[in-house]
Amino acid sequence: MIRYILKRLIMLIPVILVTSFLIFWAMSLTGGDPALMLAGDNAKPEQIEEIREELGLNDPFIVRYGNYMKGMLTGDMGQSYVTKRDVFKTFMERLPNTLMLGGAAVFIAVVVSIPLGIYTAIHQNTWKDTAGMIFALFGNSMPNFWLGLMLIIIFSLKLGLFPTGGKGGLDSLVLPAVTVGFGLAALITRTTRSSMLDVLRQDYMTTARAKGCSEKQVITVHGLKNALIPIITAIGLQMSLVITGSVLAETVFSWPGIGRLVYDSISKRDTPMVTGSIIMCSILMCIINLVVDLIYAFFDPRIKAQYSKKG
Amino acid sequence: MAQANELKKQYKKRTLAQETWRRLVKNPGAMLGLGFLGLLIMAAALSPFIFDYEVDVIGQNMSERLMAPGAAHWFGTDEYGRDLFARVIYGARYSLIIGVGSVLLGLVVGTILGSQAGFHGGVIDSIIMRGIDIFYSIPNIMTAVVIVSLLGPSTVNLMIALAFSCASSFARIVRASVMTIRDQEYVESSYAMGLPTWKIIVKHILPNCLSPIIVQITLLIGTTIISASSLSFLGIGVPAPAPEWGALLSAGRGHIRDASYMCIIPGLAIMFTVLALNLLGDGLRDALDPKMKK
Amino acid sequence: MAEDLVLDIKNLVVHYETEDADVHAVNGIDISIGKKRTLGLVGETGAGKTTTALSILNLVPNPPGVIKEGEIFLEGKDVLKMSSADLEKMRGNDVAMIFQDPMTALNPVMTVGDQIGESIAIHQNLSKKEAFEKAKEMLKMVGIAESRAYDYPHQFSGGMKQRVVIAIALACSPQLLIADEPTTALDVTIQAQVLELMKMLIQEQEMSMLLITHDLGVVAEVCEDVAVMYAGRIVEKGTADDVFNHMRHPYTEGLFDSLPNLKQRGEELVPIKGLMPDPSDLPPGCAFAPRCPYATEECSKAVPQLMPVDGSETHFVACSAYNHPEFRLRGNKDGK
Repeated sequence: MIRYILKRLIMLIPVILVTSFLIFWAMSLTGGDPALMLAGDNAKPEQIEEIREELGLNDPFIVRYGNYMKGMLTGDMGQSYVTKRDVFKTFMERLPNTLMLGGAAVFIAVVVSIPLGIYTAIHQNTWKDTAGMIFALFGNSMPNFWLGLMLIIIFSLKLGLFPTGGKGGLDSLVLPAVTVGFGLAALITRTTRSSMLDVLRQDYMTTARAKGCSEKQVITVHGLKNALIPIITAIGLQMSLVITGSVLAETVFSWPGIGRLVYDSISKRDTPMVTGSIIMCSILMCIINLVVDLIYAFFDPRIKAQYSKKG
Repeated sequence: MAQANELKKQYKKRTLAQETWRRLVKNPGAMLGLGFLGLLIMAAALSPFIFDYEVDVIGQNMSERLMAPGAAHWFGTDEYGRDLFARVIYGARYSLIIGVGSVLLGLVVGTILGSQAGFHGGVIDSIIMRGIDIFYSIPNIMTAVVIVSLLGPSTVNLMIALAFSCASSFARIVRASVMTIRDQEYVESSYAMGLPTWKIIVKHILPNCLSPIIVQITLLIGTTIISASSLSFLGIGVPAPAPEWGALLSAGRGHIRDASYMCIIPGLAIMFTVLALNLLGDGLRDALDPKMKK
Repeated sequence: MAEDLVLDIKNLVVHYETEDADVHAVNGIDISIGKKRTLGLVGETGAGKTTTALSILNLVPNPPGVIKEGEIFLEGKDVLKMSSADLEKMRGNDVAMIFQDPMTALNPVMTVGDQIGESIAIHQNLSKKEAFEKAKEMLKMVGIAESRAYDYPHQFSGGMKQRVVIAIALACSPQLLIADEPTTALDVTIQAQVLELMKMLIQEQEMSMLLITHDLGVVAEVCEDVAVMYAGRIVEKGTADDVFNHMRHPYTEGLFDSLPNLKQRGEELVPIKGLMPDPSDLPPGCAFAPRCPYATEECSKAVPQLMPVDGSETHFVACSAYNHPEFRLRGNKDGK
């Protein structure tokens, strides 16, 4: 198992290299001339050339990429054109806010959707099931940034219960977290329901009942543990949805996370910031995916066995 | 003999489709979704004949700006006095074309990658899946940012950008299905019988994951419509002044306090379209796999 | 006699009600099993055997299954009138079941030790750890090394899995064991081993057993009593001797004729013509009449009831042909 984790971590390295290469390449093609951006509008051509030389912009692309990666190892990913601040530091400052928002969203989603999914599966084809599924359908069909706008209209502007944006106390986290969590909750509800329905039909459920397990034990001990595997996959697959949702929610609610950072940087054409942030985001996603895979193995001995076999 | 088999196959296929349709008709939700989508497609197709794009959709009329919904303008007007109803109906064209186009593109690419990865395992699997991890590890909004900024903002480039994330979803689904049935006896036996790999994939593995794929297609068209509008909302999707729904929302956001209908209405358009797709998708799943229902 | 019965099913009727059809799976059967006796319930696939078995545990999947009528007495208590708490106490403790397919009957994400220990923990009020220790003993009893209690089902072969299923069923020494085609899914060589094991354990623990099978060979080897089921009804029942050596029902005869006979090698196999009727559309009279070589017009008028054979206390047959006292099956040895 530990060997598997190590192997996965080592396999992250080429992923990071390729990703960062592609991003670096794409952004260097489109990001405009950094020297022009840095020098300001009134700079003379000599000054610009001086900056170009200083930044190593006259070097061939591959050398610049090499330097960038070398810098990345020490946490140096250049500095912002706009704020002149260190990219890596700025990203790391913003990261906890996004993790907090994403974490709160996943928490809300899981707490609501797994019980709801089980409940609707057990009461399949009754009005309870229908009501739960209608909730999930709406959650699934709403663009979450729009939900955020609606929440602002209702809970901030009309009812005055929560702030319209910014990061303050816990109350400022509620609307953004619900915004991100709602769509996720809808998805997990559906997955839990269908996974549970699938499991409910299995022979081993009858075996469990024939053993004398109570219905509650049958559902939680035998049902949920089997149903969890697809659920975890679904949550894992949706982690990028959480990040995407966060980007949008952060924009709508002016939440100072990395999504907001990327959005601002794009609109200000702050290339080092965009490049750095997206590379860091992809590394973050790789780590999240690895964690999901490990959780997966924890719940399914067949997969664990496969991992151990592969080493 | 071969001809007879072919005939039999066709016959079987037709009855399966008929059977699916028969069950679908019984599902009120799916019919509602289908009806709504039919109307929407019709409206989108006819909108160039109903509205004059230059005048009604993007033409400005400052004397009628920010009018609340009423008899003259059913959905009100925006800050340039443009009729929101005309813009929302016209916007359906963008959402539908982007949604369907991206998903189909993604399906082709994803199925090829996923089945290859799942079936062969080992090195091929590692390479393909790591490659997909790369695209998947970047949230699709960021992939889109990179691709759109590389290719320049346009509807086609937005579709390509969104297709990437669809492809990775399909690849993962197909691969997972392949891996669960790859080792089952009937697949092993066809392997032992010397059937070429691609035939096994087409004959045994794809039919086995056909319903999740069909369900995923409908769901993904919805998701992609949402993603496209998200990107436009952020200002990196369909360029202005095209009335894409996300762009309408982005404009509406500036008037959330004084003209909240500008925020509400385009969002409702997105929601009902995606809702209709989801209803249809669920209905299709039940109809395709009657075992799932009971 | 009656108080010796472990199981007494009276007039059980079970339907599966779906949107499209009302499937009459079990149509008023009466069977009983005495203490320490083994009853073989024989019939083709779809005859309603498994539904009968699930009814005894009150586990017929509902919806779509509905137990319409009947009483199922387990040691005098009606299973169909039990509260769910009583049912849970009964299942696994008084009655246990072995399922047809060991591949799917075990929970893939639980160690086999936990799965065996679970019912011990429930019914004997033991901690999980103590139950696990007992589960190891059970494994040893069915011939699997104790150390394998920590393994998961996917690490076992089919025959081994069925041994685990048997261990689960016998964990609490139930009075009645229901075995639903316990050997059908196994290799022929493994079948004999598993059957031998079951036979031995049943004798050891003094249990009664309801053995459901379509394999007459298995019945002959294990069972003292036999009931033959066709389209949801019992058509003939009696002791093994009654049914094997003095068979009365044309269907029973058909079943035997379709078996290869090792002693008379040259003999031709005679399959039963046709198929079992659609259980959602049963004929008005005897369900076997359309396939019966002896059928007369009378047969399709009324459903024949189980009647004692020649005043026997054990042997019953449901066939209208015996309304004519001179009727004999063609192959019937004692009839000639």
